[in-house]
Amino acid sequence: MDINYVGEHLLPGKIGQFFVILSFGASLLSLISYFFATKNPEEKHWKKLGRIGFLLNAISIVTIGAILFYLIYCHYFEYHYVWAHSSKSLPTHYIISSFWEGQEGSFWLWMFWQVVLGTVLVFRAKSWETPVMTFVMLCQTFLASMLIGVEIFGSRLGSSPFILLRDALDIPVLKDPNYLAMIADGNGLNPLLQNYWMVIHPPTLFLGFASMIVPFAYAAAGLWQKRYKEWMTPGLPWALFAVMILGGGIIMGSFWAYEALNFGGFWAWDPVENVSIIPWFTLIAAVHVILAYKHSGHGFFTATLLSLISFVLVIYASYLTRSGILGETSVHSFTSLGMSGQLIWFNLTFLFIMIGLLVWRRKDFPRTQKEEDIYSREFWLFIGALVLTVACVQMIATTSIPVFNALFGTKVAPPIDPIAHYNKWQGAFAVVILLLTAVAQFLKYKRTDSKKFWAATLASLIITILIAGITVYFTKVYTNVMYVLITFTAIFCIISNIRILGDAFKGKWKLTGSAVSHIGFGLLVLGALIAAATNEVISVNDSGYIGVQNFGKEGDKFTDPGENLFLTEGEPVQMGDYKITYIGDSIAPPNVYYHIKYERLDEESGKVKEHFVLSPFAQNNPDMGGLIGTPATKHYLTHDVYTLITAAAADSQAPMSKIKDEEKTGFEDYDEPATYQVNIGDTLRYRNGVFVIEGINKNAKLEKIPLKPSDVIVGLKIKVIAADEKTYEAEPTFLLKDGNAYDFNKDVSEQGLKFRFTNILPEKDKLEIMVYQKPLPEKKWIVFKAIKFPYINFFWLGTIVMTVGFCMAIYRRIKEGKKGNVKTSI
Amino acid sequence: MKKSSIILIVIIAIAIAMILVIYTDSSTYSTFTEAKEKNTELYVVGVLNKEKDLHYDPVKDANHFSFYMYDNDSTECQVVFNGSKPQDIERSEQIVLTGKMEGNTFHASKILMKCPSKYNKDQVEVIEATTTASL
Repeated sequence: MDINYVGEHLLPGKIGQFFVILSFGASLLSLISYFFATKNPEEKHWKKLGRIGFLLNAISIVTIGAILFYLIYCHYFEYHYVWAHSSKSLPTHYIISSFWEGQEGSFWLWMFWQVVLGTVLVFRAKSWETPVMTFVMLCQTFLASMLIGVEIFGSRLGSSPFILLRDALDIPVLKDPNYLAMIADGNGLNPLLQNYWMVIHPPTLFLGFASMIVPFAYAAAGLWQKRYKEWMTPGLPWALFAVMILGGGIIMGSFWAYEALNFGGFWAWDPVENVSIIPWFTLIAAVHVILAYKHSGHGFFTATLLSLISFVLVIYASYLTRSGILGETSVHSFTSLGMSGQLIWFNLTFLFIMIGLLVWRRKDFPRTQKEEDIYSREFWLFIGALVLTVACVQMIATTSIPVFNALFGTKVAPPIDPIAHYNKWQGAFAVVILLLTAVAQFLKYKRTDSKKFWAATLASLIITILIAGITVYFTKVYTNVMYVLITFTAIFCIISNIRILGDAFKGKWKLTGSAVSHIGFGLLVLGALIAAATNEVISVNDSGYIGVQNFGKEGDKFTDPGENLFLTEGEPVQMGDYKITYIGDSIAPPNVYYHIKYERLDEESGKVKEHFVLSPFAQNNPDMGGLIGTPATKHYLTHDVYTLITAAAADSQAPMSKIKDEEKTGFEDYDEPATYQVNIGDTLRYRNGVFVIEGINKNAKLEKIPLKPSDVIVGLKIKVIAADEKTYEAEPTFLLKDGNAYDFNKDVSEQGLKFRFTNILPEKDKLEIMVYQKPLPEKKWIVFKAIKFPYINFFWLGTIVMTVGFCMAIYRRIKEGKKGNVKTSI
Repeated sequence: MKKSSIILIVIIAIAIAMILVIYTDSSTYSTFTEAKEKNTELYVVGVLNKEKDLHYDPVKDANHFSFYMYDNDSTECQVVFNGSKPQDIERSEQIVLTGKMEGNTFHASKILMKCPSKYNKDQVEVIEATTTASL
């Protein structure tokens, strides 16, 4: 039976679904046409058809994005994607982030970038357009199939962003014709993604991933079309571009993790991080071997293989993160959408294309019979590329443990301490790579004069030893041999490349890009090493007043003082160099900001040398699992102080009064009163100071109540002296009127006090007063963690320098490519 | 033999040796009973006992959190974590602990939780319908 649902907006979804199908059809058409255009270059209509298919695909992708944005913007929760990834309170600029919270949206992003890259290729690739676009469109077809969301032969193909909530979920409520009125709000965006870095990091990363198809396509097209040497000239700038963007995207992610996540660091060797850095390494290796080949004719196979495998590894990365297979080892991978079969096919197809092409053309590979000279740059470039590849093998092997478990039915668990495990291996590789980037710069292609080489190398080496010694001493990394080695080689790399840069200014402009990007790389490794090796938790709870935690043996990690510190509002605590005080909180829904004041005191004079306030915030989001903290960081040139809230008093979010105003008697806020019999001049204590009975005022007056001469009215003068030496006056009054006793109380609200003058006892010569005190408000508290990261700015600076270097290299290679074209045409 | 071939062989040898070492570095998923016997750091997979209290009192000790967990053999054990309470542990479907047994309590150095993802949660928060359906 059909139900008439109320209030749904079905038209945009239907249009969207139409374009989803069209994008798949169009990319398939374009793929087939470009394939035949390459096979039969004289039949011009194939190429035309391929371009039409590409154009249709581009239009579809843009329309899908626009409709999805519209649906999220209008909060049409009848759509599952909108319901699952947004909510009404989401600010408009974060709508864009909900695009990549779900898999469908991130596939869309990937396709969108491929459209952009494809457009550049259609206009600029010239004779390469048809074969290169064949591979790009093959990838686009696979991606488009991920969004179809149609059942074929009983299994669902892809997952559409336009699927309706009532189709996606099988819940009785959704059978109600009026279900839309019952859905209060969407699930909302994960608070961790509500960060401006999340607006920019995923698009950059996906542009990096997407652009890796281009070197793949050029290499594959080169093999297919037997244009072996030629493909590298246009392929190299693209490979450099992909490396630059992907590298930038990865570091942005690392910066986001550092600024917004509660990991307490910038790199955790999480599988999601590993799988994005693996293709980056292989493509960097590819770039270097391409250079070696272009200059010496050695290493064609390696250059091509590395270019091809980089993209296969990108697909593998997307399989690992999207299939849910990493569930037990990673904190932040996507969960399965039931598309792992499709992803496996995608992966295998590109793997077979790579193997097939390499096997098919193996006989024709350009080779040289000459042997590389030890004193030649290409030889060491080649070695460097191999070391990078081995580094990748290590990462792939450990990251893929869950995959091997699934394949072979084993139950191997990853290493207990992954960070130590990876650091051990990757540290060793980093030493070799840094050494090579330093030394190889002094070598020339083909043959170098060994005397000149050693002279240049030794000169740099001596400077390096000096600087490295000073660095090691000041950054205190001398505790570990590996740290010293990495510091030394990183500085060697920087110094040698600065020397090359110096030569560049003397006229050898060619090497500028490479020198700059290698300096950046050296800085990056140095910053990462020092920050990671010497960061210290400064919120160490070593007060020792808690006996419970010291259960284990001495030296056991569990007996270490905890890393979380408990702070009560207004009570300063000494933490390392700083005196810290939790000075309160403020609420900017949905976040609560906790203000922590840091003061650095001069040891002798006790004066405050420096002070600042950090306001880490937390969002209490029950849908996402309670309190989610976002750190605040104080940046210095030489170090950062990083502060994160790990727990807080639950009621700081919503203070409320349970008693309605009209029922108040004025006393419910106070504790049980104390009754005193006092004389003039007595001094009594209360919680926050003392009060003095100063005297009697016989001339007390009361407004509104007319007094007869027989009535007795007496005021009692009380002076309150608080602990902070502020004084307050109060005068409660006692009245005997017509034989009845009345009293009129007085508040000292600043101190939470209320006085009643309740009786005069002439026989005892005493005055009776009642004192009400407000209970001390339960002090607000927070639990927080603070970490000091020294020299982390090198890490960020290195990234920027490296990116600048890549830009220079791309510019040079594009220019060279153009020159090359001119030469061949002449 | 070419130099590059020799180097290639050396590097392949290193790679193979490396993979072997990786697998000696790797660990196994075990149970509380095994943890008692072995007394080394290992992984234990299980589920939270939601009926017993989770104990975390930051006023007393901000670095002490304890709870009860069933491992895959349904053995129950008290777990003590030297840190603050992970935020959404109550909702976890599965917990992977890293740590070792000390006496009768398991001291975890790391807690990894598998929480119902927003995709699988599939619970629609329903507000009371104020208008009646008009057909």
